[in-house]
Amino acid sequence: MTKLIFERPIIQRINAGLPSKYGMAHKLEPISHIDNVSIKSLMDSYGSPLFIISESTIRKTYKNAFRAFSSRYPKVQFAWSYKTNYLNAVCNVFHQEGSWAEVVSGFEYDKAIANGVPGELIIFNGPDKSRQDLEKAIKNGSLIHIDHFDELYEIISLSKEIEERPKVAIRVNMDTGIYPRWDRFGFNYENGEAWDALNRIMANKKLDLLGLHTHIGTYMMSTDAYKIAATKLASLAVRLEQKHGHVLQYIDMGGGFASKNTLRGAYYPGTDTTPSFDDFAEAITSAFMSSEIKPDNLPLLILENGRALIDDAGYLAGTVLANKRLADGRRATIIDAGVNILFTAFWYEHDIRPVEPVSEQTEDTTIYGPLCMNIDVIRGNVMFPLLKKGDHYVIRRVGAYNNTQWLQFISMRPNVVMIDSKGEPHLIRKNETLETINSQELTPEHLKNFDL
Amino acid sequence: MLKIKKNIAISDSGFVFDPGTGDSYSLNPTGLEIVQMIKSGKSFEEIFQDFATKYEVEEEAFEKYYYDFTTTLKQLRLTEPNGED
Ligand SMILES: Cc1ncc(COP(=O)(O)O)c(C=O)c1O
Repeated sequence: MTKLIFERPIIQRINAGLPSKYGMAHKLEPISHIDNVSIKSLMDSYGSPLFIISESTIRKTYKNAFRAFSSRYPKVQFAWSYKTNYLNAVCNVFHQEGSWAEVVSGFEYDKAIANGVPGELIIFNGPDKSRQDLEKAIKNGSLIHIDHFDELYEIISLSKEIEERPKVAIRVNMDTGIYPRWDRFGFNYENGEAWDALNRIMANKKLDLLGLHTHIGTYMMSTDAYKIAATKLASLAVRLEQKHGHVLQYIDMGGGFASKNTLRGAYYPGTDTTPSFDDFAEAITSAFMSSEIKPDNLPLLILENGRALIDDAGYLAGTVLANKRLADGRRATIIDAGVNILFTAFWYEHDIRPVEPVSEQTEDTTIYGPLCMNIDVIRGNVMFPLLKKGDHYVIRRVGAYNNTQWLQFISMRPNVVMIDSKGEPHLIRKNETLETINSQELTPEHLKNFDL
Repeated sequence: MLKIKKNIAISDSGFVFDPGTGDSYSLNPTGLEIVQMIKSGKSFEEIFQDFATKYEVEEEAFEKYYYDFTTTLKQLRLTEPNGED
């Protein structure tokens, strides 16, 4: 007779009265496979913890977003937001799908060039562009989105030395009815600064003004805010044509659409509250279509979405290290992935699932990472199945910002694998080792030895 | 020997009611089996023997979870205060 699987014994209080905030507690279904590949077998080959990225999910999500816009508007272009996830394999999936590159530093710019993106299809955003960066971008014909007047005058000064005409747009910030207002980037709409900047560019005559740009915030749940932003940018385009007879080639609406993750403290799960690509597309394109822009002059619509395009494709799988009980009797489960590699645990109540089959039983659990630091909390208070030491977990929707903001801290950054569209895993970033870290360090001669 | 308080009602489905406090609790199936064995006066060794024949579990792991569980029973005051040797 084969023996039964042992589940650890538990007893828990039944709270009469109000149901939990998501209604009845629901069972967390295990996720054992990603794209038909066993998570357990991937960890056997590539270690634990392990980032797993689904190529087919990236392509599917991208196609869905592109369809939402291109079915409503004649000219649409996405530019992949490098900072969201600049693993080269990830960037190249987006480039194969047709995305340009959107970068915010000299390092990201060089990464896009090294990936083979033509210079004229790179959008250079952000407040940090050195004179050398700008010079390179001008020579390559890249699209420079100007953040402030100091940058505008730097470009004007460079334009006297360089043969190529700088191709520029300005970043505009504005009141779209949401808080916090991102007014630290670009030129303000309401106080006339943006209009002033446009006029100075037109007066200069050495710069090619190609477009307008905004990025109104991140994890935006309001489609109205985009409608307001699109309407305001369209009105600037109309004024440019009226005053200077100048027709803009594009309007870049930035990124910021919420992914389906649930924000910490949110009442409803993100899967219920996040607007669809169709909702955002409708808000933006209807604002353009109903603006005063002449139909023949409709600009190319550029989008720079990050998290909404990649979050779903990323998973973080790993192993339970231990269970313990907190002083007040609550359950604590310690896993092998900490906030140093899952930075987004600070923002989200991540959907964490068992990999192996579990019973219906759950317990109010706080899930901690392995760092010897009090802040290392992956999930507070989740009704979680009774995983034992050595059992496996997988965290969903971790594709955005983790592989770029992760820290080498206390332990090493783990392997990242991508499962291709045929179900073949590929190692796309190697885990770090002591040698990786030590190879960057130099110990002065007099500190090389000691006697203890 | 650990003893469950006499007035605690335990149903076959794992529902537990403490008339002293009015609190109710639920046990998972392994929790229920252990509580019933404790009630019938079995020692840790006997309980482990029963579990080892029925379940895939090592003694070390079982001991760890058993004591974690019984500590919770004590914290919830479902056991006799002087119920230990
Ligand atoms: C200029 C710009 N574009 C695009 C993005 C991508 O944002 P998200 O991941 O919220 O779509 C960002 C991120 O902050 C950004 O600063």
